[in-house]
Amino acid sequence: MKNHSELINTKLADTQMRANLDSAMHALQDRRLALINSKFKQWEGLRQRAKNAKDNALFTLKDRVLEFEKNATKNGMKVHYASICEDACEIVYNLMIEKKISKVLKGKSMASEEIGLNHYLEKKGLIATETDLGELILQLGNETPVHIVVPAIHKNRYEIGELFAEKLGVEKESEPEKLNAIARVHLRNEFENLQMGLSGVNFAISSKGAIWLIENEGNGRMCTTSPDIHVAICGIEKIVESFNDAATTDTLLTPSATGQFIPAYNNIITGPRKEGELDGPKEVHIILFNNHRTNILSNKDYYEALRCIRCGACMNFCPVYDKIGGHSYDAVYPGPIGEVISPQLFGMKEHSDILSLCSLCGRCSEVCPVKIPLDSMIRKLRRDKIGEYEENAPLGASELEHSSLEKGGFSAFTKMATSATLWRTGLANASKFNWFVQSFGGHIPVLSRWAKYKDLPKLEGNLYKEISKLDGVSYE
Amino acid sequence: MQKKVYFYATCLGTAAMQKMVLNSIKLLRAADVEVVFKKDQTCCGQPSYNTGYFNDTKKIALYNAEVFQGDLPIVIPSGSCGGMMSHDYLELFKDDVNYEKIKQFSSRVIELSQYLDAIGFKPVDKGEKIKVTWHSNCHALRVQKSIESNKKLLTSLSNVEVVYLEHEEECCGFGGTFSVKEPEISNAMAKAKVEDIIKSGASAVISADGGCLLNIAGTLSKLGYKDVKAYHLYDFLSARINGEKL
Ligand code: SF4
Repeated sequence: MKNHSELINTKLADTQMRANLDSAMHALQDRRLALINSKFKQWEGLRQRAKNAKDNALFTLKDRVLEFEKNATKNGMKVHYASICEDACEIVYNLMIEKKISKVLKGKSMASEEIGLNHYLEKKGLIATETDLGELILQLGNETPVHIVVPAIHKNRYEIGELFAEKLGVEKESEPEKLNAIARVHLRNEFENLQMGLSGVNFAISSKGAIWLIENEGNGRMCTTSPDIHVAICGIEKIVESFNDAATTDTLLTPSATGQFIPAYNNIITGPRKEGELDGPKEVHIILFNNHRTNILSNKDYYEALRCIRCGACMNFCPVYDKIGGHSYDAVYPGPIGEVISPQLFGMKEHSDILSLCSLCGRCSEVCPVKIPLDSMIRKLRRDKIGEYEENAPLGASELEHSSLEKGGFSAFTKMATSATLWRTGLANASKFNWFVQSFGGHIPVLSRWAKYKDLPKLEGNLYKEISKLDGVSYE
Repeated sequence: MQKKVYFYATCLGTAAMQKMVLNSIKLLRAADVEVVFKKDQTCCGQPSYNTGYFNDTKKIALYNAEVFQGDLPIVIPSGSCGGMMSHDYLELFKDDVNYEKIKQFSSRVIELSQYLDAIGFKPVDKGEKIKVTWHSNCHALRVQKSIESNKKLLTSLSNVEVVYLEHEEECCGFGGTFSVKEPEISNAMAKAKVEDIIKSGASAVISADGGCLLNIAGTLSKLGYKDVKAYHLYDFLSARINGEKL
């Protein structure tokens, strides 16, 4: 765990990153809005349908998982189950060992980030190479994704040109087309001897035993069709019942993510190469993994987070995210959805410090295509953090230490706010920001922290007296 | 709509924006509304709610329901506190035995310009020509949904030109205890908001929420922008109606 304020202050001071993010996020916001206004007649209705589709799958998740297993197996895929991250990594590792493969090529997959696959394989002497342009940039620069859809969005083209020159030994370029060409040549070499490809899953359709992948660059398609073995890593919440459900949700995904109407590629995979077919992998493996998702599902306050389709709109619109960037969240998933799920997937003990990274402005919930009430979940997680949780506390919440100072401050505040006499004596001759000081019991230097950046207002006379003098006002 | 109301001053209004409270009550009087001011009123409980102290907040909510009994509308010059009492209370008491009691209270809460709009109040502008811009409070925008009425009042002033911000719907970074817990991030957000305001070319920014206003005004002044003023909507409106200089 890194030091929270140190990490944030370093990121806040990174003016280049902030400028890159500021322009990128505003461009993504504008594109999304323009697209919704020009192409969609019933965006709200679509959101409701997608919410229903995902809820339907979540409410019957056990049946859906079994149904998916049955149908995928019938289609010739091999379904594996993993409970925690290590299990999922181990399955990939064992497959590689069994097939004598030392290198796997990856399409973009947040699930593989979540289980820490690259690192796991590396430690065992095996290689996982990224083929998504953004992920490749990060891998070359030894960084983690800053965003779940556009993982290297914090870097501008000049920085990428320099990185390519340094790591790939090419001329320094900054034109997007030239940078693309460099990556293409580099990846072509990689694809040439590809034996095993790895991907994520956008939707797993239980009634058909099929998986649906979307992408823009074509590398995902290469990873899933050209090698002999394709392994897909899939969180169990990615399962929906029907193609109809998947199509509804898919229609919301790219517009929300990048403001594109549709992605460049929709790949629907129904199994390995069949007899007589000329291409496609000979084996398809699906790893269904849990990693505490069933805990989330069992909590009435948080199960809705599992509707997430990982579009990233909540981070694109978050006024905190574009100031501090994804790395400040110190977890695989940044932004509002990260704030909700990271503490629950990886434990409140290590990850609940990020719950302060939100002004509760509510814009994330407003734009989330599947209507996840992110801001109210963040508030509830704060409740759980201070120990007021009801049932099914998030992972590790019971092990947290609590600030008695803050708690004492708020009970003092509550005492004032529920007693007319205390309140009036406190406020009648209001000194500067009395309520603010009172809200923390005056223990911590609230005023100085605020006043560091803002001038404080000057206060006037006795409000109660003035009101009682007003004509036509009963003061009672 | 009933023309007799309870007035809810908000804690911030009582502690730091007393002129705004008096002006708001005078506006109601100008619209011929009878006003009842409960001297025992305190705070809506938003600071403790947003920090996660739900049990404390419940006590405050129940206290409010007790103080404001009956069926008069509860008019409040803040969409943020309004949203807290009309919507968030319901969420807070969802599985609570006191739900009905709270619901009765919540259903009467209304933001001042929503109320003025409902009774058909039309302000007459006696002020000089001025170009202003507008800041929407997030909670007012997305929970109480009172921004439309705020703007309706503002734009009905004949001598006031309103120019909108490029990133109008972006949070100013106040967020109650957020600005205390993460002052550096809050400041970065407030600065972005202030830059947007300066870019608009307006000579004043108007907002209908005390917290945002103190945050923006404090940042404007700290950054040395002396020519751009920040006014609470109801102070601004009062001055325009009475032809006073602000
Ligand atoms: S929470 Fe909603 S907006 Fe955020 S990534 Fe998930 S689906 Fe998209």
